[in-house]
Amino acid sequence: MAAPLVLVVLAAVTVRAALYRSSLAAFIAERVEVASPLNAWKRVVEGLALLDLGVSPYSGAIFHETPLIIYLFHFLIEYAELVFMITDVLTAVALYLAIQDFNKVVFKKQKLLIELDKYAPDVAELIQTPMEMHYIPLKVALFYLLNPYTVMSCVAKSTCAISNSVIAFFILATIKGSAFLSAVFLALATYQSLYPLTLFAPALLYLLQRQFIPIKLKSRSFWLYTMQYASLYLCSLVVIICLSFFLLNSWDFIPSVYGFILSVPDLTPNIGLFWYFFAEMFEHFSLFFVCVFQINVFFYTIPLAIKLKEHPVFFMFVQIAIISIFKSYPTVGDVALYMAFLPVWSHLYRFLRNIFILSCVLIFCSFLFPVLWHLWIYAGSANSNFYYAITLTFNIGQILLISDYFYAFLRREYYLTHGLHLTRQDGTEAMLVLK
Amino acid sequence: VCTSRFWFNYRHVANTLSVYRSVKRLGIPDSHIVLMLADDMACNPRNPKPATVFSHKNMELNVYGDDVEVDYRSYEVTVENFLRVLTGRIPPSTPRSKRLLSDDRSNILIYMTGHGGNGFLKFQDSEEITNVELADAFEQMWQKRRYNELLFIIDTCQGASMYERFYSPNIMALASSQVGEDSLSHQPDLGIGVHLMDRYTFYVLEFLEEIHPASQTNMNDLFQVCPKSLCVSTPGHRTDLFQRDPQNVLITDFFGSVRKVEITAEAISLDRDRAGFESKFPEEELATEPLKYAEQLPVAQIIHQKPKQKDWHPPGGFILGLWALIIMVFFKTYGIKHMKHVF
Repeated sequence: MAAPLVLVVLAAVTVRAALYRSSLAAFIAERVEVASPLNAWKRVVEGLALLDLGVSPYSGAIFHETPLIIYLFHFLIEYAELVFMITDVLTAVALYLAIQDFNKVVFKKQKLLIELDKYAPDVAELIQTPMEMHYIPLKVALFYLLNPYTVMSCVAKSTCAISNSVIAFFILATIKGSAFLSAVFLALATYQSLYPLTLFAPALLYLLQRQFIPIKLKSRSFWLYTMQYASLYLCSLVVIICLSFFLLNSWDFIPSVYGFILSVPDLTPNIGLFWYFFAEMFEHFSLFFVCVFQINVFFYTIPLAIKLKEHPVFFMFVQIAIISIFKSYPTVGDVALYMAFLPVWSHLYRFLRNIFILSCVLIFCSFLFPVLWHLWIYAGSANSNFYYAITLTFNIGQILLISDYFYAFLRREYYLTHGLHLTRQDGTEAMLVLK
Repeated sequence: VCTSRFWFNYRHVANTLSVYRSVKRLGIPDSHIVLMLADDMACNPRNPKPATVFSHKNMELNVYGDDVEVDYRSYEVTVENFLRVLTGRIPPSTPRSKRLLSDDRSNILIYMTGHGGNGFLKFQDSEEITNVELADAFEQMWQKRRYNELLFIIDTCQGASMYERFYSPNIMALASSQVGEDSLSHQPDLGIGVHLMDRYTFYVLEFLEEIHPASQTNMNDLFQVCPKSLCVSTPGHRTDLFQRDPQNVLITDFFGSVRKVEITAEAISLDRDRAGFESKFPEEELATEPLKYAEQLPVAQIIHQKPKQKDWHPPGGFILGLWALIIMVFFKTYGIKHMKHVF
């Protein structure tokens, strides 16, 4: 499978290089859907320039990147385009390897459950075969590399690509089973943007499953392993933060990065839900609503962990999607990361109910974003409500997409254990409904 | 003087421009006219016929024309500026076109229009001039010998209240309505959307169109303009301070600039040689080196600039710590046996 992957990588690199040389690069770099105050390239350049002038880059609310990014780009700023292309390629390769391993795990588990007679007799058509799973890793890499969102994000040189890369390596480490590496990469991902903290739960569940430790609250080995993983994670996080302190000899980066992510002071429009609300909110209530909105990201972890404890990788997918919808400064690069996983669940296609409408909604909204931005800012014939409407529609489309996949996944699991032709007590055909 | 702004006060600007037009037509040059307009109707974005101000609904008469010279415009039309113009107490930097350069042989016509009430006239929707202030201003003018005779016309609601307090000699005043009466507008133009003129000034304009520089029409005819049947309000006038009989006062004494010409048949000779008639040309300037623009943007240097040396470097401890951590993670994951390949 290496050759097709190399071909895909070459195609992706060509597309990006072509776009870098064209005039579209400047246009894409300043679009608010692609570059947010957290990951815009011109802010990185500004921060490094401030540093050259002897001023802390965190003074003034321009620069919100972590010190490790300062270190990385201090040496690589002349090769920035190459860095971002290589990052994208690394992400795709990491996802490819991760999904390859995941497929093996899925297949093994399926075989075990068939032999244990856990599946109903008439579900032969629902079982995944190695033949159809053979091309999934390549499709994942393809979906990530050639997704227009990723391409735009790379051409805009948004550091979202680096966050995605770290998360991809975290997923690779988790699926390979190495708790230490997984904790280290999760700490890096949390350090980079705060929200991957919620990925702790699915990673833990996956590693527990891999060690064959049952997930019972009373089990001693469960708590032991959890403590081990948590301490690995927290120690790495502390070490990374302390190391960042030594870069500039100050703790300035903590309010600039994490304070900024949590308190959302910058209300530049983006594809998220925060800016419009906080633009029209009274000061008196803003603290309350900031807390409510931020809890919304972390809130779904526990219920999903309870429901999806047998399927931690699907849980990870849903969690990444929830992060990219509800985070304070989302960009299309975040959306691209969870969309890369969609081929893994392609066997759920027959159970998806709204996929046509949702894909239409997402495509139309993506095209309408620049149109309504132009109408609002340049033509003056629309106002922020128009742009916010498209933001809302886009996010609703994403949320419905995730819940559709969720429904389809659970429905398939139910059919697997209860058979395809469900009947009610009196023998008539029954319909499965998600309550 | 037009004292009101905003588009719906189009008629006040049209009033003022009509009188301005008549006065210019009858011979008074712009240097002798101080025109104050508080808003720009001709180039107002709401004007469907830009660069025009009409006085009649069939757009017969564009009173804006091609050679309107507005001396005080927009926010410059204030009570203070108006009183300064009248009294001559004006900062030395004021241009001549904004001054009233009158002396004791000048006849002055003052026409004011806008929104008014009993004893006041509103300027710009934010301030007022009272009849007492106006009367005192005219007294200042009399004491400084700034007029010979003064004709004051006002077209506002309750306009007669504005001339009640005058006490200086040689002032004749006309107003469009009595105290307690409103001056009404003439007719709206549905194409432009506002009322175009006030009734009193409309009929005054009609009257003035008949006047030419040689006409012998006198003030009594002006007093008859716009009876109550046409104007709805009762126009008023005051002549008690005026020394001549209105019967003998020609309209062109105030509205026109009529020269008294004496025709003679004798020839007058002019001297051929007049001293001081040398043409003075400037001497040749010294030849200097050719002038050129200073090099402000040395493009050649900028294009070939080397990238600047970076002044900041990460501290050594940080680099050491980071790479030590990375190596530790690598070896913890993949085992010690790879160490020999590294070293």
